[in-house]
Formats: sequence, C-alpha cells, structure tokens
Amino acid sequence: MSPVAIAVGGAVAAALAGVVAALVVRRRERPVVVGTLTAAAGGSGVVAGGAALLGQRWSVDLPGVLPLSGVAVSVDGLGGMFLAVSGAVAVAAAVYGIGYSRHGLDGRFVQATVPVFVLSLLLVPVAGNVATFLACWELMALASLVLVIAEHRRRAEVASAGRWYAVMTHLGFVAILMGLLVLSVPAVDDSFAAVRAAAGSLSPALAGLVFVLCLVGFGSKAGIVPLHAWLPRAHPEAPSHVSALMSAAMVNMGVYGIVRIGFDLLGTAATGGGNRWWWLLVLALGAVSAVYGILQAVISTDLKRLLAYSTTENMGLVLVGVGASGVFATTGHSVLAALALAAALLHVLGHAAFKTLLFLAAGSVLHATGIRDLDALGGLRAGLPVTTAAFGLGALAASALPPGTAFVSEWVLLQALIHGLPTPGADTSIVPSIVLPIAVAAVALTAGLAVVTFVKAFGVGFLARPRSAAAAQARESPPTMLAGMALAGMAAAGLAVAPTLVLPTLGQVASGLVGSEVPVAGAVTIELIGVTGSLSPVVLTVALLGATVLVVAVPRLLVARRARRAARLWDCGGGPLTARMEYTATSFAEPLQRVFDNVLQPVQDIDVTHHRESQYLVAAVEYRRRVPDRVERRLYEPVLAAAAAWGRAGRRLATGSVHRYLGYGFYTVCALLLLLVITR
Amino acid sequence: MEDAVLSLWHKIWRVGRISEAAPPAPTAGRPSVAVSLGGSVQVRHVDAGSCNGCEVEIGSAFGPVYDVERYGARLVASPRHADALLVTGPVTRNMTEPLRRTYDAVPQPRLVVAVGDCARNCGVFAGAYGVTGAVGDVVPVDLEVPGCPPRPEVIVEALRTLTGR
Repeated sequence: MSPVAIAVGGAVAAALAGVVAALVVRRRERPVVVGTLTAAAGGSGVVAGGAALLGQRWSVDLPGVLPLSGVAVSVDGLGGMFLAVSGAVAVAAAVYGIGYSRHGLDGRFVQATVPVFVLSLLLVPVAGNVATFLACWELMALASLVLVIAEHRRRAEVASAGRWYAVMTHLGFVAILMGLLVLSVPAVDDSFAAVRAAAGSLSPALAGLVFVLCLVGFGSKAGIVPLHAWLPRAHPEAPSHVSALMSAAMVNMGVYGIVRIGFDLLGTAATGGGNRWWWLLVLALGAVSAVYGILQAVISTDLKRLLAYSTTENMGLVLVGVGASGVFATTGHSVLAALALAAALLHVLGHAAFKTLLFLAAGSVLHATGIRDLDALGGLRAGLPVTTAAFGLGALAASALPPGTAFVSEWVLLQALIHGLPTPGADTSIVPSIVLPIAVAAVALTAGLAVVTFVKAFGVGFLARPRSAAAAQARESPPTMLAGMALAGMAAAGLAVAPTLVLPTLGQVASGLVGSEVPVAGAVTIELIGVTGSLSPVVLTVALLGATVLVVAVPRLLVARRARRAARLWDCGGGPLTARMEYTATSFAEPLQRVFDNVLQPVQDIDVTHHRESQYLVAAVEYRRRVPDRVERRLYEPVLAAAAAWGRAGRRLATGSVHRYLGYGFYTVCALLLLLVITR
Repeated sequence: MEDAVLSLWHKIWRVGRISEAAPPAPTAGRPSVAVSLGGSVQVRHVDAGSCNGCEVEIGSAFGPVYDVERYGARLVASPRHADALLVTGPVTRNMTEPLRRTYDAVPQPRLVVAVGDCARNCGVFAGAYGVTGAVGDVVPVDLEVPGCPPRPEVIVEALRTLTGR
C-alpha cells in the first residue's frame, strides 16, 4: 500500500474522529481533543503531500460512495503540494485553536465543523474526478461559512459578512460548476484523466469559455479583484484560527483550480498549452489584484482587514507568476514558464506560512485586548512579548525584504519576468515589450507598498505607547496559542533561510506541468537553470545579521567607557508626552493616501459649527474621512441596487391574490399553445 | 524656477558683503567652561517671558550685518544640540518649569547667558504677579548682557566672550 494512501486515510480518519469527539466529549476537554485530532489530520496531510511531492503517486476509485460517478482520489505532485500546505496550516491553526476556543467557541457545532473544514481543505487537491472535486469544494464553502458566522451572537457585522461570503462563494461555485460540466461533456466519464484526454476535442471558443468560467469561480475563491469583496469582510469577522485557515489555505485552492484547469486539464500539450489571451487575462488580473490589494492594505486601520487585503495582494502576485508562466509556455519559453510557475508555487507556500503566523498573532492581540483597530492598539511589546515577536517575524516575512520569506519567491518571480524581457535583435512582439515590463513594475510597486503596510502594522500596532486602556493591560495568550504561532513562525523562518529545501521539488512539479527541464537547483544557493541568476538566502541572512550586529554593537562598545547621565526624554519642556501625540495608522498612511488619491478616492467631510452669537466664532469642527473600496462602490453597489429594484418590480406581480396566480397560469398555458400553433 | 535661482545669485552678487568689520575680540570675563568648548558654541535661545525686544536684537546679531556666526556661535533648534542657553525676559510662572527642564536637557559642560535687563533682574516686571524671578533665580547664570533691549553689538560681544574668537 502506498504511503500516500496510508497518510490520506489517516487524515480522513483523524478528521472524522475529531467530528465524533466534538459531539461526545465534555465541554471542558472538547477543545483539547478536537484540536489534537485536527492537528493529527493536518499532520497526516503534510506527510501525504510530502510523499506525493517526492514522487509517490496514488489513485483510487470508490464508485459506491457518491451517486452517479462515485468518489475518485488521485494524488500527484501539484495536488500533493497544496495538500501539504493545507495540512501544515491546519496543524498550526488546530494547536492554536485549543487555547483560542476557550472563549465561547467550544460549542459542539462549531467544534465539529473545524475538522470538517480541514478535511475538505485536504480533499480538494486530491479529488480525482469532477464530482468529487465539486463535492469537496462545496463542503469547504459550507464548513467555512459556518465557521465565519460562529460569533454572530456577539457582533452584528458577522451576519453581514456571512451573507456576503455565502452569496459570493456560491456564485463562484456556480461558475466552476458550469465550467467543469462543459469541460467534461466530451469525456467518457468525469474522471480527470478522461477529461484531460478529451479536452483537445473542445473548440477554442468553448475552451475559452470553460477557462473564463473557471477563472471567475476560482478567482473569487482566491480573492482576486474585482471578486475580492467577501475577503475583507469574512476574514476579520471569522475566529482568528479560522481566518488563518481561510486566508492561508482556502484561498490557495483558487490558485490550485486555475493551475489544474489551465495547465493540466484544459491546456495540455494536445491543445497547444492553452491560448495566450487566457494567460494575459490571468496576468492582468493578478497585477491589478496585487497593486489594488496592497493599496487597500496600506490604508486599512483594522488589523485583520489589513491582513485580508494583503491576502488579495499575495494571491495577485501568485497569479502574476501563473499568468507569466502560461504566457511563456504559449510563446515557447518553456524554461521561463517552469521558473515563473515554481516562483508562484513557492509564493503560495511562503504566503501560507507567514499569513498563518500573522493571523494567529492578530488573533492573540484580539484575545488579549478585544481590539482590532490599530489606532487604539500600540505598546503591546511589554504585555505580549511572544506575540509581538511573532508578528514582527511575520511582518518581515511578508514585506519582501531580505531575509524574508516573500523575498525569495518574489526574487525568483522577478528573475523569470526580467529574463522574458525582449533582448536586442529578438522578436519585438507586444508581450515581451509591453506586458512584461508592466508586470515587473507592478510586482516592484507591490513589494514597496508591502513594506510600508507591515511597518505600519507592526510599528503602530505593537511598538510605541498603548493608545487605550485595553492595550495597556494586555496579558500574554495561553501556551497552546503560543505553540501554534511558534509552529507557523518556524515554517516562515525556515522558508526564508532555506527555501532550497523545497524549491527544486516545486521546480520539478512546475516543469512537469509545462513540459520542460527543471528550472532551479542548488542545496544552499538557489541556482537558476537556463537563465543566469543565483541567490543564497543563508549567506544573505548571515551577512545581514553580521551587519546589524556591527552597526548596533560596535558603537555601544565604543561609548560604554564614557560616563552616562540619565536625563528626561526631551518633550520641549512642556510636560509628559501622551499616546495622543503618537503617529496613528491613519496618519502614517496619509501621505500614501495622498499620492494615490486618484485611485483610492477617499471621502472627506468637514462640518464646522459656529457659535450662536457670532458667525466668526467656531464652536466645533468635525472631520470625517473614509476610504471606501472603490471597486465595491463602482461595481457592486449598482448591481445590488439593480437587483433590489428588480425585486421591488417583481413584488407588484405577486400581490398574494390566488385568483391572480391562477390567471398567470392560465394565460401562460394559452400563450404556449398559441406559440405552438404559430411555430408548427 | 531657474529664473528665481538666477535672480537670487544675481542679487547676492549685487549686494556683496555687508557685514561690519570685526571689532577687537573681548579679552576679559571668559567663563572657564567656555574654554573647554574650543571656540565653537552652539546656542539654544529660550524666551522665558520676554516682550520680544531682546528677540529682535538677537535676530539682528545673527543676521548678515553683525553676523555672530563668523565668530563660532550658532543657533540650534534643540537644547540637546546646544552648549549654551540664551535666556531672555523675566522668568514667568508658566515658563519656570520648562526653563529648568531645558537646562537639564543641555549636555554638560553647559553655559547660561541671561540677555537683557529683565533676564538679569526682572527689569520693569519686577514684582509682577506672574513672574517667578530673574533667570539667575531659576538656573545658574554664567554671563549677563545688560540693556533694554541690549544692542546687537553687546550680544555679539557676549557670545564672542564665550567662543574666545
């Protein structure tokens, strides 16, 4: 029996045991038992995914389990990678959830849903036929929806977030359903192997339709602009370990779907690697999402909303890699295609690690203070030292600076994009000369804004002085929550220092999908094959650490011999500095908001109230500023208004009179009969 | 923009040098702390309750005509950067504590110059209800500049006493 089979079976068994345990174990022990079993399921997922990445394959058909087509499981390298990522996120989130669930999240229903959600996350990438895939996808959507609305009794916004999420995820499901059904029409059955074999017989227009439908569905799950509206609503309102699962594991499934459809099922060698416009569309959507997502993150003052927008940004970067890979594949640069796809997969991995860490740390802050508003936080270093260190590590990992996790993947991505730029004397078609430079610029702009975002989140939220009583009295979270953060932190640090442990394997997966040689190698130094470029994250980290020690320690040693005098902090002589004088998240982002005024279009109101006696004396000035999501305002509000108007118009037809409804039926039958008479 | 720069240069060229010739350097009364500063004194000005007459004269002392900077004295924006405080006016109640804190913020070795009659002995404000006292009642004073207001030449001479140039 294959090790993958044992591990997948173990994951399913552990998750189901978790569900049963949630229903039968007493409330006091319930979070521990469920958390342990869920973590075991996640661990088995990591083992299964790791084995699949190392070349183990497994597939099985269980025709009796689901009606019509049955359940089929098939594990390959691509699925194995996403399986391992979901499993690893689940381990950290489940361990964290043991401590986090103590406060009102230890009910039977919520506790039983967590292992179901984890199980669905593990099963989506190993589904071997369309029916299994769709069933797992829907299970994932429903389980996550239940978890998003877990705290709906405490906060009114949760219900609204749940409605947005429910509607958008199901519209996305409809799109995927239509796409996959059209795709599997010419196949003998709905297994992925049969679909792959028959995809060549689809006409180009139909194949394009399938790709666009799937892109819409999977893009909405990945939080791609303009289908991102649910993400900044649902992620902040969900319990934090669920936010981590959603933001670090569930959104990846959107990327998995796009890669699976585009490179494996639809865009196989038989159809010539897909059409170029598909991938240009993916690239454009990715670039827009990356820039728009990080711009919204820069100006967000809600810590978890900021992280949710950062997820949109990172998924955008991943899609830039995927789109560039497809473009390179259709233009015949297969090594660059494999390199860009490997960069995208590495970014998925790194994003999962640091976003888990960041959401868990944000949850720890929420647990200790009850506050998500950065403008009311600050000064957490004293009360929450471990959480502060964890968020600091996550912020470094997310900000694409060495020695961060995102730095390595964005470096590989930029190498692929830059080597695709036109060389003198080569072809000067529109793709290399216009699209790729814009993509490089978008990635670079995103990286720069990400640094600002995370400097803001860490500096304003955790350092300086506390801006509220709750932040001043914060106490560190229980050990299980710290253990969850430590697991995610180790993964993020490991991927930052030693990405070479996984990058060649991801390169193999990517090269298998686009049909080229493996694009990267190296045990300590990342060496790109086919293009010139190498990077050694270990050496870079050691050099940076050495430089930091030199800059910090040497001056201290030099001045240590001099006499020191303790003096008051200089406050212009006027009295103690207060927390109100600090930079807030809003004021920190204000210059950038000014720069991107045309894109963000903030709404400002100034109300000046005058004294009753004189117009020249001002009694009060009220200033309000809001930065509404512009895509939402321009795209969603008209659609919602039109739907509401349509509903109101329909209400006039349904007045509640039985006679009228009978009349409708009668006239419809008459009209149909007339139609038959005329057309016959 | 370019025109503005050019016209500025033109003006500088046309006006030329307008500083007065340097009078002979003062020889007496140099505080011993000032010697250790080596001829360069960074000065922080504190208005402890002045009528702003002394400020106008300090302004001209540091202006192009008297130009005390050529003797090594320079105005700075924070007591953390300063070697000496230039205090004007009688010390009012509201400025007593800030003056003390400003003095504490100056790194050692440090000097205090009381500029004007008000700073020396409260001048016309002596005994007023809002006045704590002269500068010397709040912080130790090393040098005094008489006058109401003191002429720029006298301020320049006092600062030259500190720099020794």
